[in-house]
Amino acid sequence: MSNNIKYWKGEEELNRDPQFLADQKREFGEALPLEQALSDEGFELNSNRRDFLKYFGFSVTAVALASCSKTKVRYAVPYLVKPEEITPGVASYYRSTCGGCNAGCGVEVKVREGRPIKLDGSRDSVISKGGLCATGQASILSLYDTERLANPLIKNEEVTDWTSLDGEIKSKLAVLKATGKKIVLLSDTINSPSTLRAIAAFKETYTNVEHVSYDAVSYQGILQANATDFNKRSLPHYHFENAKAIVSFGADFLGTWISPVEFQADYAKNRRPSAEGGMSVHIQFESTLSMTGTNADHRFPMQASKELANVATLYNYLAKAKGLAQIPVPANSELAGNAIEKASKLLLKNAGKSLVISGSNNTEIQQLVNAINMLLENYNSTIDLTNQSNQFSGNDTAVQAAFEGLNKGSISGVIFYGSNPVFNQNKEWAAAIAKAKLSISFAATKDETAAVCQYVAPDNHFLESWSDAEPLKGLIHFTQPTITPVFNTRQAQESLLNWAGALPANEIDALKNKAILSQKIESSSFYLFVKNYWEGLIGAEDFQKALEMGGFELPKTEGIAVYTGNVSALAASITKAQASTGYDLVLYQSIGVKDGSQGNNPWLYELPDPVSKVCWDNYVAVPKSIAVKLGLDEESTVNIEANGVKYENVPAFVQPGQANNTISLAVGYGHTHAGKVGGSLEKGFAPIGVNAYPFMNTTRDVLIGDVKITKGSEKYILAQTQTHHSIEGRDLVRESTFTSWKKNPNAGNEKSAPHIYTIWEKAEYRKDGSPNHLWGMAIDLNACTGCGSCIVSCSIENNVPVVGRDEIRLRREMHWIRIDRYYSFVTDKEKMTREDDIADVDAYDKGDFKHWENVSVIHQPMMCQHCAQAPCETVCPVLATSHSSEGLNMMTYNRCIGTKYCGNNCPYKVRRFNWFRFNDNDKFDFHFNNPLGKMVINPDVTVRTRGVMEKCSFCVQRIQEAKLTVKRKGGNMKEVKIETACQRACPSNAIVFGDLHNADSEISKLHRNERAFSVLDELNIQPSVKYMTKIRNTETI
Amino acid sequence: MKINRFKIWAVAASFAITAPIFAQGAPNAEEGKKLFDANNCGSCHALDKKLVGPALRGVHDRHSNEWLIQWVRNNKKFRESGDADAIKLYNDYGGAAMNIYENLTPAQVLDIVEYIKTAPAPAAPKTDTAVTSSDAPVTDPTTKYVLLILLAVFSIVLIVLARVRNTLKRIAAEANPDEYPELANKGSFMQRNLPAFMSKMNPTVLGLIVTTLIAIPLGIYGFNFANTEVGVQKGYAPTQPIAFSHKLHAGELEIDCKYCHSTVEVSKSASIPALNTCMNCHKGVQATEKYNGEISPEIKKIYAALDYNPEELPGKQFGDNPAPVRWVRIHNLPDHAYFNHSQHVVVGKLQCQSCHGPVQKMEVIQQWSTLQMGWCIDCHRNSGIDVANNGYYAALHDKAQKDLKQNQNNSKYFGPDGKVKITPAMNGGLECAKCHY
Repeated sequence: MSNNIKYWKGEEELNRDPQFLADQKREFGEALPLEQALSDEGFELNSNRRDFLKYFGFSVTAVALASCSKTKVRYAVPYLVKPEEITPGVASYYRSTCGGCNAGCGVEVKVREGRPIKLDGSRDSVISKGGLCATGQASILSLYDTERLANPLIKNEEVTDWTSLDGEIKSKLAVLKATGKKIVLLSDTINSPSTLRAIAAFKETYTNVEHVSYDAVSYQGILQANATDFNKRSLPHYHFENAKAIVSFGADFLGTWISPVEFQADYAKNRRPSAEGGMSVHIQFESTLSMTGTNADHRFPMQASKELANVATLYNYLAKAKGLAQIPVPANSELAGNAIEKASKLLLKNAGKSLVISGSNNTEIQQLVNAINMLLENYNSTIDLTNQSNQFSGNDTAVQAAFEGLNKGSISGVIFYGSNPVFNQNKEWAAAIAKAKLSISFAATKDETAAVCQYVAPDNHFLESWSDAEPLKGLIHFTQPTITPVFNTRQAQESLLNWAGALPANEIDALKNKAILSQKIESSSFYLFVKNYWEGLIGAEDFQKALEMGGFELPKTEGIAVYTGNVSALAASITKAQASTGYDLVLYQSIGVKDGSQGNNPWLYELPDPVSKVCWDNYVAVPKSIAVKLGLDEESTVNIEANGVKYENVPAFVQPGQANNTISLAVGYGHTHAGKVGGSLEKGFAPIGVNAYPFMNTTRDVLIGDVKITKGSEKYILAQTQTHHSIEGRDLVRESTFTSWKKNPNAGNEKSAPHIYTIWEKAEYRKDGSPNHLWGMAIDLNACTGCGSCIVSCSIENNVPVVGRDEIRLRREMHWIRIDRYYSFVTDKEKMTREDDIADVDAYDKGDFKHWENVSVIHQPMMCQHCAQAPCETVCPVLATSHSSEGLNMMTYNRCIGTKYCGNNCPYKVRRFNWFRFNDNDKFDFHFNNPLGKMVINPDVTVRTRGVMEKCSFCVQRIQEAKLTVKRKGGNMKEVKIETACQRACPSNAIVFGDLHNADSEISKLHRNERAFSVLDELNIQPSVKYMTKIRNTETI
Repeated sequence: MKINRFKIWAVAASFAITAPIFAQGAPNAEEGKKLFDANNCGSCHALDKKLVGPALRGVHDRHSNEWLIQWVRNNKKFRESGDADAIKLYNDYGGAAMNIYENLTPAQVLDIVEYIKTAPAPAAPKTDTAVTSSDAPVTDPTTKYVLLILLAVFSIVLIVLARVRNTLKRIAAEANPDEYPELANKGSFMQRNLPAFMSKMNPTVLGLIVTTLIAIPLGIYGFNFANTEVGVQKGYAPTQPIAFSHKLHAGELEIDCKYCHSTVEVSKSASIPALNTCMNCHKGVQATEKYNGEISPEIKKIYAALDYNPEELPGKQFGDNPAPVRWVRIHNLPDHAYFNHSQHVVVGKLQCQSCHGPVQKMEVIQQWSTLQMGWCIDCHRNSGIDVANNGYYAALHDKAQKDLKQNQNNSKYFGPDGKVKITPAMNGGLECAKCHY
C-alpha cells in the first residue's frame, strides 16, 4: 500500500521544475565559490603561471614562517576559593522555570563551571514533562547576547550607577504621586506570586499605579467567553491525555497554542496505536496548514472567516442529537463532504472523552466551543476550569484604555515590564509614550519600546533571576539563578521594591558579600523576598526541597465550574457573521520565533518552519489558487493591505494545504530594534521579515477579512531547507491506517526484506557479538509532531553553528538533525495516488485546486543512521570516518581533509561540510564569533574548523560519560539511561535511544516491533535507526 | 625534613651536653644564634618584625637580663608570680602564651640575648613582587641574527665574484693561451679538484648523486624532528607565578597528590587546586624560620592573591581585592582530543606518575610525557584492564574466559609475554570516537 503513495517535498519536486532537476544532481549547492572568495580578497582566479608561482612561493614562505612561531603560552586560572558545588569538568544541574514564553515549563539547567550551557525539560514538571520546545531551548542564548544592555539607560545614555537612576525615578514617581497623576505598569501576563506581591507593594507605596497586562498574541476570546459563561476570566487547563477525540478549529495546540510542550506530551500518549487503549482521533479544521494540522488524522480546509458559522453548525449537529434547540446559521455552513457532521458523530461517540478547541480570538466562537464542550460533558475530564491555567490572562481592553489614556494625557507615567507595545501593538505607541512625564522600561535589550522610554532599568535574564510562577492553579514552579548576572542588570522586581522602599532588609553575612565566594547570587534582595514568603508558607526545609525539585504542587481543588452560558444569545451575531468575500489574512505564530520576544536569537531564525521549511524570514503563505491567479512563482513577492496597514514586496510562498481563500503571515518578525541578528535600524542591520502585529490593530484578532493582495514588483528567494535533497521516488516513509494495523501489525510495512548481497566481510563485532554495546535509535513517526525542538537541542549540545540566510540558500545548512516533511495528496476518489497520477489529480479537480487544499503530511526526523555497512566509510581516503565496535559511525575531525566524498556517498544526505570557520568569522555574526556567545559552547564537544565534515554522532559524548560513570562504580550499564540531546528535548518522546545488546531494553523491543522499518533498507547498509510506520486513525469516522 | 629534624635534635642534644662548659663564660652570640634556631624561636619571633610574638631587637633595652631569664624559661610561672610587665605583655599579644623553655639555662638565655644584641640590622627590604607571570620581556636576539645573515650574504657574494673572475680568466685563457700561460691546459675547477673517477662523470649525474646523499639523512632528520619535536612540549617547565615545589610538597612532605588535585577521581580534569586548599596549611605554615622571621615570599603571593592579611587574627576571611593566580598551563592537549582523568585513575588504576613522571622529585613541574597520540596508543595497546573486578566488564570477562577455554594458547587474549591480558585496544580503546568527538 505504501508503494502507492506519491510523496513530495515541495512544489518544485512535484512539478519537476528544471532548476530543481538540475540542482538535485549536485551534492552541494554550488560549485566551489573560489572566484568570489578570491575576488573578495583582491585576487583573480584567472591567474597565469607567474601568478601561480608568486602565490605558491608566498604561501610556502608564509606557512614556513607561521610554523616557526612560538607555541602560545596558555594559562590556567583556578578558583581562589572553590565553591563546594562546583567540580571543574563536571556539570551540575539546577531546576528552574523556563522564561522562553509564558507557559512556564519546568526546566533543568545544565551548568558547567558556573555557566549555563543547556536547558532541558524537568521530568517532574507537570507542564514540561521532560520535554522542552525549540523556543525554550534557544532562550539560553539570549543570556549570552551581546545586544543586552550592559548598564541602565537614562535618556539613552548609559549610566553605570543604579543609584542615580533610582534617585531620578523615585523623585519623579513622588512628584506624580503627589500630583495624583496616574501611572500604568504595563506587563505581559504575570503568574508569579512573588512578582505580583512585589507589584502590590509598589502599588501600595504609589497608590496612583495601575497594573495592566496584555499578551502579544491574545487569548482574550477564551478569557471573555469563560468570564461570560462561567463567571471566571481565565484559561482552562486542557487535558489532552484524556481526549479520545480531538476537534480543533485552527488551534495549533502542538506548536504555539497556550502550552504546547505539555499538550504535545499529553497528546502523544494516545497517538501510539495500541490494541488495548486504541488510538485517539484528531480532526483539524483549519485555513492554513499548521503543524498541528499536519498531525491530524483528518484535516479539513476551512475558510477562516467562516469559522463562527462552522462551529455553530457543529453545535447544531450535537444539539440535534441531544434534542436541544438549534441556533440559526447562515446557509452553506457545512464543509465539503459533510465533514462537520462526521466530526459531530465522532464527538458524540466519545462524549466525556473528547475535546473541542478553537484558536480564534473571537469571544462568540469561544462561547460556542464552551457550549459544545458542556454538551459533550467534557468539563472535569478533558477541560479543567476549576484548577485553571494562569499562563495567559492579558486584557486587551485595558491596554487599549491605557493607550488612549497616554494619548489624552490622563495617564502621565508608564512602566513596561515584559511588554513591547511599539513592536507588538503598533507604532503609534511610540508617540503616546513620548507624551508621558515618566516612562520606564525593564527590557533587557534596547527594544522598540525601550528605545523611546526615558529610563531603561534592564532586567536580568531568567537564568540570572530568582522568582516563582504559578502557571496552573496550585502548581508552584521556582526560578533560581544559575549564573551571576553577566551585565550590570537588576531584576525588575527588585527595582520595583527598591522604588517602593519595600526591599527586605539584606541579611548581614560577611561571607555572602565576598566577591570571591559563590554565594554572592544569594544576596539578591528579591531572593529574600521570595524565600521569606515561601518559608513562611511551607517551612524552610520544604522550600529547599521544592527548590531542588523545581517546585511543588498544592492539592487540587474539587468541584466544577458552573455554566451560565446561553447560546441562543449568540444567534444574532452568528446570522450576522458574513464570511469575507475577498481573502482572509490569518496571523499566526511560527514555531521557533513565536511571539517574537526573543528577537535577536539566531537559533530560532535558523530553525526551519516545520511545514514550509523556510528559515530566516516570514512570508505570505498563499494557496495554489491565489498563486495561479496572481501568477506567482517561487521567487515572487506580494503587496498586502488590510486594516489600514500596507506592506510591499513581502516574499510569497505557495503553501500546499492552505485553504483557497486564505493567506497567512507569521507575527514576531520585523524587529527594528532587536540587534545585529534580528535587525536594528539604529545599527544598520536590516529587519528580518515584516512586522505583522500592526494588522491586528486594536481587535487583536488573528483573522482579518477582506485583504487586498497584489503581485509585488520585486523578486525574493526564500531560504528554504525543504528541497535541498530529493526523494527520487524512493520508499522513505511508510504509513498505514489504524484499522489495517489492528488486522495486521505489519500494515504499511509489508515490504519484504531485501536480498542481502555484500562484498564486505561482516564486521567483527557483528560476527561474534561485541561484549560492549550496540547503539541504536528508534523514532516513532506517530509520536513525532515535527516541532523541531530536537534540532535546536542538537545544535546546542553539539556546538552546531548558525550559518544564516545566504548559506541556506546555497544549501549549506549545518543542522545535524533535520525533519523531513513529505506531502501527499488526499482525494475523495482514492486517498493515495500513484507515482504518475499527479496529472490525473489535476484533471480530477478541474482546475479549482481543491486537491491543493487537501494534503497529508508525514514528518520524519533524519540524522546520521550509523549504518553498519556505511557507504561513507568506504570512500574516505584518509579513514576520517570509521566504525566503532559499538556500532557508531565515527567522524574524526582532525583526520578529515575535506574531500566531501562521504557526503556524496551518503544516501541519507546527513553529512555537513564546514565551508567556513563559523566560530571565528565575523561574516557569520550569530553570537558564535564573540567571546560572550562562545560561553554557551559545550566544552565536551569539539568546535569544528573550516574544511571538515561533520554529522550526528549519536551524542557520543553522552554515551562516553554514562559508560564512565558506570565503570567508575563498577556497575552494570543497565542501571543508566543514556539520552541523546534530541531524545531529551522531544516533548512527545518520539525518539528512543539505547543498547541493542540488551534484549530487554526499550530500544530492542522497538527494533523488533512490527511497525519498525529502516529507511533505504534495500541498499543493505543496515542503519542503526529504525522508524515506526505512521499509523493514521482515519477510518473511524 | 627528616634530616632537618635530626639536625635540630643533634644540635640541641650537643648543647645539652656541652652547656655546662659555657655556663660560666661571657654571653656568646654565636651560641645564641644556634640556640635561637634550635629552639625554633623564629617560628614566633623575628628580630625586626612583629609576628605571633613581639619583634626582639632591642629587647635587652626594654627588659633587664633577670626579667628576660625568668620570662623565657617559664613565662607562666613568672606571670603567676604577679609581675606587672609580664602580665601586660601577655595581654598585649592577645593572650597567646609563649612556650616554656626550662631546658635553657640562664646563661643560654643570655647567649640568645647577646645574639639579638649583636645581630646585624637587615638590609633594605626588597619590594615585594606580587604575583607575576612568566611572560617577562626577553632580550631580542634579532640584531645578532641579522648581522650573521648579512655576513653570510657578503661572503657568498665575495665567493661568487671570485669564481666569476676565475671563470672569465679561464675563458680568456682558452681564447688566448699565450697571454695566460699559467691557466692554459690546467683543466676545469672540477677536473682539478675532484678525484679522477668523479671528474670523468657527467656533472649532472654527479650533482644528483651528491644531492641525494645529502638529502636522505637530512630528510630522515627532518622527519624525526617533525615527528618528535614539532608541537611536542615534553620537558616544558616554564617559570610559574608562584615557585611551588612539588619536590617539597609531594616528595619530602609526602602529601597525597589527590589532596590538592582533588577532582582527579570524579572529573575529566585533575584541576589545579583553588587557593583555599593552599590556605588549609599555609594559614599556619609560613616558613618564617627560613626567611628571618619574614613570611616566605612565595607564600605571601598566596596571601596577595586572596587579599589575606596574616596580621589579622585567625578566622578572618579573605579580602575584597583578590587577584587570581595565572599558572602557566603545561599539559595542553589539542581541543579535538578528549581526555578524562577519572577514567585513567579510577577505572584504569594508573598512578599519576605513569604519565606525569616523578613529580615528587621535580622542583619545577614539567611535562614528562610527549602527550602525542602514539604515546596514548602505545599504552592502550599494552596496559591491561582489570576486567575481573569491575562489573562493567563482566561481559568482556566472560567472553575472554570462554575464548581462553576454547582456543587455549591460541587465544587472542594472551599477551606477547604469554600471560592473559585484556588491553584497552581489545575493547575498542583504539577507536577514533573514544577520544575524538
